Amino acid sequence: MKTSLKKGLSSGVIFGIVFIFLLLIGFINVGSTMIGDLLGNTASGRLPVNNLLTFLAVLGVLTGITARNGLGESQWWQALLGGLVAGLVSGVLAWLAIWLTGTLSLQGSEIQTYLPNMDPADLNYLRFYSTPLAAANTYLLYFVGFSVAGAALVWLLSIKGWFVKCWQACRNGVSNWKGTKDLSDVFKNRWVMLVIFLAVAVALYFLPLAWGSYWNYIMGTVAIYVILGLGLNIIVGYSGQLVLGFGAFFATGAYTFALLTAPTPHGIGLNLWLAVGGSVLVSTLTGLLLGLPILNLRGDYLAIVTLGFGEIIRILIKSDLLTAVTNGPKGVTNVGQPTWFGETFNDVNYMHLLMLLVLVALFIAKRLKDSRTGRAWVAIREDQTVAQATGINTYRSKILALMLGAAFAGLAGALFASRNQFTGPEDFTLMVSINVLCIVIVGGMGSLPGIVLGAFVLKGLPELLRELEDYRLLVFGALLVVMMIVRPEGLWPAPRVKFDKPAEEPMQDLAPEVKQ
Amino acid sequence: MTRAVIEAKHVTKRFGGLMAVDNVDLVVPEHTISSIIGPNGAGKTTLFNCVSGFYVPEEGEILFLGEPINSLPTHKICQRGISRTYQNIRLFGEMTAVENILVGEHTRLKTNWFEAIVHNPRYRTEEQESVERAFELLDYVGLCGLENTPARNLPYGAQRRLEIARALASQPALLLLDEPTAGMNPQETDEMVAFIRDLRDTRKITILLIEHDMRVVMDISDQITVLDYGLKIAEGRPAEIQSNQRVIEAYLGPGAAALSEKFKKKKAHYA
Repeated sequence: MKTSLKKGLSSGVIFGIVFIFLLLIGFINVGSTMIGDLLGNTASGRLPVNNLLTFLAVLGVLTGITARNGLGESQWWQALLGGLVAGLVSGVLAWLAIWLTGTLSLQGSEIQTYLPNMDPADLNYLRFYSTPLAAANTYLLYFVGFSVAGAALVWLLSIKGWFVKCWQACRNGVSNWKGTKDLSDVFKNRWVMLVIFLAVAVALYFLPLAWGSYWNYIMGTVAIYVILGLGLNIIVGYSGQLVLGFGAFFATGAYTFALLTAPTPHGIGLNLWLAVGGSVLVSTLTGLLLGLPILNLRGDYLAIVTLGFGEIIRILIKSDLLTAVTNGPKGVTNVGQPTWFGETFNDVNYMHLLMLLVLVALFIAKRLKDSRTGRAWVAIREDQTVAQATGINTYRSKILALMLGAAFAGLAGALFASRNQFTGPEDFTLMVSINVLCIVIVGGMGSLPGIVLGAFVLKGLPELLRELEDYRLLVFGALLVVMMIVRPEGLWPAPRVKFDKPAEEPMQDLAPEVKQ
Repeated sequence: MTRAVIEAKHVTKRFGGLMAVDNVDLVVPEHTISSIIGPNGAGKTTLFNCVSGFYVPEEGEILFLGEPINSLPTHKICQRGISRTYQNIRLFGEMTAVENILVGEHTRLKTNWFEAIVHNPRYRTEEQESVERAFELLDYVGLCGLENTPARNLPYGAQRRLEIARALASQPALLLLDEPTAGMNPQETDEMVAFIRDLRDTRKITILLIEHDMRVVMDISDQITVLDYGLKIAEGRPAEIQSNQRVIEAYLGPGAAALSEKFKKKKAHYA
């Protein structure tokens, strides 16, 4: 009884405040419009009230669910009471907010002067085009009703457990089929894996054809960032060196490619594929040059020095000193593009090339990780002193990690410059390095699937959220905060390598199998 | 006379004005168990760190199988055949038991990163053999069934044994053990003593250890070196050390040796 009241009160207050916050930043209109788009309920002129009501219903149900979940194991009346209290509290807060803003705007107060999103037309819509009191009452009613409904829904699901039972039945069904023990065993079957592999390959081939040039551009960016993330993952995720100037290697790769292929300023016009090789090589050497002086630094000091290095490279490219070499702040235009049987690459070809290279990069990263070299890197990350006493040449290992990571960045840079047909110093600001580091951390340090997922979330999701316009970064930031609270190890933490006990007789296949 | 695995001559290590190790000579004969004892802060671990290459001594020379090692970097010393464990266990926590052993085998493996990418036959056989050796070694130290557990999740005793197994994985000629029985109950201690003996007798490894448990030290050692304030105050077989007056005074304070003599006489008198 007491806990129901308490949990109801707390979740009611939370959602009441969320509602007021959304109201003040003008998000409720945007959210309702999005729901309208989703349901195909769009109209010109007066915005349909149904969308707003649906939005409120969703908010109400969420309030109820939160109240019920706070209770844990509970009776039906406890759940309903919690939902009711939560709905009442949030409803009263919403009532106050709507009544206040509605009355103020009807009296002709200039709220918009102080709160730029309080447009009178929007407020009229939020009042359902009627009086403040009637509208406020509707809000209260909706919050109470749907909060109780939400609480009841969760309670039904938890008590009956039918959802859980269905899932178990599914699992058992699959398990009985072909006599496998567990669902994960299905994926160990060679034929199942082959079918999945083929399906993925076909999907990867046809997707770029299907989704148009805009999506090819977005996904191409994601692919480039996957390669960058894989590179930085070798440095930060495996060998544990916090390098913040990773953009510098990206820049050297892009500029090497651009200068070797573009007609101005040098007009070398090197073969494209050789130029890609050149980019990788130059970036690798940059990694070596950076590595030699700094490798005795650890932690914070390393981060600061590499941060400076990243900026130095960008400023050098821009500087008057090197304008003759790099074309200065104007950047390099008409960067070479690959051709396929005489035709220059279109967006679909680029996407295919990028996907292929992402797969190659994943393959290399995976093999490195499972090798003696990769284990040495992880050992250095875990305890550098002990790693050295265990016979690992930490200096050489760390430089190797830097060079290989930089090589990935060089490849990504060449692709980036070629696809954009342009490269300029402002493409390589500090934000690039930070974005890549975020991909590694958000995805999961040292985790290959995590990097891919992280690149999608950090470079793809902002584009998906473009619908939200001004609120894009707000929502994105909130998502990141929530994620770091819910999953501090990253979205997809590194799977542990599991070694099977060697059998007495010589075994054919001893490749370590990855188990979740 | 067996040859000396370690021959330290006039080793001195200072920290500022503090003489952590002061002009110490140490000879560790092959296939023996030698112990270093002494009160807290006597310089035992510093001497260990000098031998394993963490510190470079300011004066003196350390010979390993007749060759000087005191200017070599740490990883080269491990390659030569010295490996060690730590007073406070230092495993690679996020890595599994097998992976810890595989890192220990690092110096005995040859393949480079490029071979790892292309998976050439040499890489595959080497990897397969190293995993086999790792499982054997884990079996030997009694960690059967815990192979794929992350090191940080292992129980304390298992972590100690895993640390020794990791040190053994580099196939050392000399094993340095820093307080191998710290924090163990009497039964575990007995098992550890038997295990260390077995290392000497069947694996032919020379062992140098630091230990505070006198029962263990007197039981196991072929030779004991006593340090106090960085100085070597005694050296010899367990029985000799037990009756050495300077040792008793170092542990129990000045005058303790005389008291001890008195006590013995009294005991003889009543007997």
